[in-house]
Amino acid sequence: MGAFIIRRVLYSIVTLFILSATIFLIVRFTGDPLALMTEASARPEDLERIRHQWGLDRSWPVQYVTFMQNAFKGELGKSFNYRLPVTELYFQRLPNSLTLGFAATLISLLIGVPAGIISAVKVNSWWDNLAKGIGLLGLAIPGFWLGLVLILVFSVWLRWLPTSGAGDWRHVIMPALALGWYFAASMLRLTRSSMLEVLGSEYIKLARLKGLPDIVVIAMHAFKNALIPVFTLAGVNLVVMVNAAVIIEVIFAWPGIGRLLYEGIFQRDFPLVQGVVIMAGFMIVAINLIVDILYAFIDPRIRLTR
Amino acid sequence: MRRPRFEARNVVRTLAIAMLLIAAASAAIPFSSPAGAAARGKLVLAWHAGFASRWLDPQEHDGTATPDNFFTALHDALIKNQGTQLFDHLALAERFAVAADAKSATFTLRKGTKFHNGEPVTVQDVKFSYENYRGAKADVFKKKTERIEFVDDRTVRFVFKEPFLDFAILFGTANVAGPGWIVPEKYYKQVGPDGFKQKPIGAGPYKLVRHEPGVKVEMEAFDGYYRPVNVKQLVMVSVPEAATRVAMLERGEADIIYNVPGELINKVGKLPGFTLAPVLSGSFFIEFPGFQDPKNPFRDKRVREAVSLAIDRRAMNQTESGGMGKPTGNWINDDVLYAIEWPEFPRNVEKAKQLLREAGYPNGFDVDWVTPIPAFYSRGERIISQLREVGIRGRLQTMERGIFFQRLQGGLKEFPGTQIILHGARIGGSWSFWYEGHFKCGGFNARDRVCVKDLDGKFELYERSINPAERKKLAEEIQRGILENYYLVPVFRHAFVNAIGPKVVAQKWQDVFPTITTGYAYPWEDLRVKD
Repeated sequence: MGAFIIRRVLYSIVTLFILSATIFLIVRFTGDPLALMTEASARPEDLERIRHQWGLDRSWPVQYVTFMQNAFKGELGKSFNYRLPVTELYFQRLPNSLTLGFAATLISLLIGVPAGIISAVKVNSWWDNLAKGIGLLGLAIPGFWLGLVLILVFSVWLRWLPTSGAGDWRHVIMPALALGWYFAASMLRLTRSSMLEVLGSEYIKLARLKGLPDIVVIAMHAFKNALIPVFTLAGVNLVVMVNAAVIIEVIFAWPGIGRLLYEGIFQRDFPLVQGVVIMAGFMIVAINLIVDILYAFIDPRIRLTR
Repeated sequence: MRRPRFEARNVVRTLAIAMLLIAAASAAIPFSSPAGAAARGKLVLAWHAGFASRWLDPQEHDGTATPDNFFTALHDALIKNQGTQLFDHLALAERFAVAADAKSATFTLRKGTKFHNGEPVTVQDVKFSYENYRGAKADVFKKKTERIEFVDDRTVRFVFKEPFLDFAILFGTANVAGPGWIVPEKYYKQVGPDGFKQKPIGAGPYKLVRHEPGVKVEMEAFDGYYRPVNVKQLVMVSVPEAATRVAMLERGEADIIYNVPGELINKVGKLPGFTLAPVLSGSFFIEFPGFQDPKNPFRDKRVREAVSLAIDRRAMNQTESGGMGKPTGNWINDDVLYAIEWPEFPRNVEKAKQLLREAGYPNGFDVDWVTPIPAFYSRGERIISQLREVGIRGRLQTMERGIFFQRLQGGLKEFPGTQIILHGARIGGSWSFWYEGHFKCGGFNARDRVCVKDLDGKFELYERSINPAERKKLAEEIQRGILENYYLVPVFRHAFVNAIGPKVVAQKWQDVFPTITTGYAYPWEDLRVKD
C-alpha cells in the first residue's frame, strides 16, 4: 500500500510540474501583456520600465525557475492588474465560488438523480423520453443563453431576483441554476446508465425473486450502488464549477474564481492565469489522488496493479 | 484651407493671463461650503470591464483613458481636463502660469484643501507626487525638469532644463499622464505603492469606503472637498456582460451604464425615462502598410484616393454606431491640441473606379488581408464589401487584441504583401501623440510600415521648436500632408454609447457626460440623483 501511495504521489507531482510548464508557456505565447496595460501611443521607455518592473525583461527559463521557486514557497506571484498576491486574490474569491459550486451541484443532483432514476426504472416509457429530452436540452442549451433568459424573466419581467452580483441567497439562485442545469444533464445520463446496469444485475433479480416490493429493490439495493459513480462525478464537477465557471460568473457578474480567470486571460495577467490554473490543477490532482488511494484501500486488486 | 480647431494664439504667452481670468471666475463660486454635507442619495455605475487596482494610483498612470474615472473621484490634480477645458481646469491649484520662455511653471494651491485623512494638501505633497511619479511619460518629466522650488507655503514652481512647451498639456490631461495628481506623501510612504492601491487616500470629491479588487469600488462624498458634492454614495461595479448591464439599468440596480453595444442600442433607446449618451470617442482610419514599395498598388496616390472614395462613411456610422458617431475628415480627434478640422471625405464609386483605371488597375486587384483592430471585425467586413464595389478584393483577417498590437509593433515584416489595416484610437493631449504613435517612422505602433521622410523631418522640426506659432504651423502642415496624400484614410469617429437611468437628474445626456476629452461621466461631484 505504501509503495502504491508513493507512486501515486509522484505521478501527481509530475502532473503538476507538466501543468505548470504548460500554462507558463501558453500564457506567454499569447503575446506581450504590455500591449494591454498601456495606451497605443506608449513610449518605448515606458514599456521598458514596466517590463523591467515585472521581470518580463528576463528570459523565459529564468522567469520559470523564479515562478517555480516561489510556488514551492506557496507564492504564486503578484497580479499585474490587481497588485495583490495571486493566492490572496484566489482565496478572496474562493468562498463565492464555493457557494456557487455547492449550490449548482445541489441543483444538478436534485434534477439529475431523480430524473435519471425515473428514466431508468421506466425505461422506454414517455417518462424516459422526457428525461432524455431534458438531458439533451441540458447539454445543448448554452449556459450564457440560459443565464440571459433567466435574467430577463426573473429580474427584468417578474422583478423577483437581482440581476447580478453577490449578496444574499437571492443572488445565488439564477447563476446556480444556469450552471447546475448543464451538469444536471450529465448527472441524469450517468444515473440512468448506472441504474440500468445495476437493475440488470443478478442480485437485483434475486431481490425481486424474493418478492421484495419494487420500491425497496430500487431504493435499498439498486440506488445505493448506482450512486457511487454519480457521486464521484459530482465531486469532479464541483471542482470544475468552483474553478472554471467562467461564462456564468461573467454573465451574472459573480465575483468568483472563474471571473478572476477570465479577467486574467483578457488582461494577459500572466501570474494570475498561472496561479488560478495551478490551483485548479492542484485541486483536481489532489481529489484524484485521494480517490485513487481510497479505491486502493477498498479494493486490493487496484493497489496490486502496476 | 480649413480652419484649425485651435486658434492661433500664442499659447505660452497668453496662458498665464487666461489662467488668471479663469481663477478669478472660479473664485466667485462659493467653494468654501462643506462639500459632502448636503450630498444625498446613491449612484451606481455599471462598468464594462474589470477593475485594475493600478487605476486607483495616479503615481503609476498607465497612459490609458480608463484610470481617469477613478482619479477624478478619489484624487485631484493641480489642473485637469474637465468640461470643455482640455487640460487647464483649475482644481487643487487656484492659479497657474507657464513662464514666457516655457522654462518654468508656477502653481498656487487653493486654500484649505485636504486629503481624505484630514491632512492638508501641501506643496511638499506636490513635489513628492511629481518626483515620485513613475507612470506614463515619467521619463519626459524627469528628463526636462531641473528642480522644484517652493515659492511660499502654497506656491510651487517647476523649473525646466529647457523650454517645455507641452508641459501643461501633459501635466493636465488625465488620460495621458499623472504627475499632476496629488497623493499624500506621508500616507503613501507609510503604506507603500501596493498598499496605496488597495486603500487609496486622495483629495478628490469621494473617499474610498470599500474596495473589492476587480469587482466593486464603493465611495462616499468627502466633506472636505472644495466644491459641492451632490451624491452621497458612489458605487462603481464591474459588469462585463452588456446584456446584464442593460438589465441592471432597467431594473434600477444601476443608474449609469457604460458601453451599450450596437445590438442593444435600439432596445435601450426605446425604454421610457432612459437616455442614451453617445459620446464621440475613438477615431477609425485606414493604413496601407508598406505602401512605399514599388510593387504595392497603394504606392499610387490615385489608388489610395480610390479607397477613400469607395468608403461609405455614413453607412458605417449608421450600422456601427446607430448613426450617433461622426463621419470625419481628420484621423486625429478634434479634442486635442493643434488637431485640424477637415471636411468629410466624399463617396464616389464611379470616380474611384476611374482612378483605378488611370492607375493601371481596370479590373481592380487583390488585397492579401484586411485587418481591423480587434474586436471591431464587422467594421472590417464593411470595408471589404465597400472596396469590392470598386474592384479591390480583400479578405478579413481577425486577431486577438494582444496579438494585433504585438504584430503592429513587429513592423512591416508582420504585414507583408498588399494589406490594409483598420485602426481605431483615442489619444488625449496633443496631435503629436497621435503622430508619434501611428505615423512616425519608428513610432511605437507605426514602426516601419508608413515612413514618410519629409513629414517625419517636419515633425523633428516641430519637436525641436520652442516657438508656438511655428509649432502650430508645422502641426497643420503635417496633418494636411497626410490627408491630402491619403497616407491614412479617415473613416469615422465612433460613439461610445452609454445609458443613463431615470434616477439621474439630467436635461440632456451632456449634463452627465460634460467632459469632451473622455467618454466617461466625470466630474462626479456634479452628478445629481432624484430623491
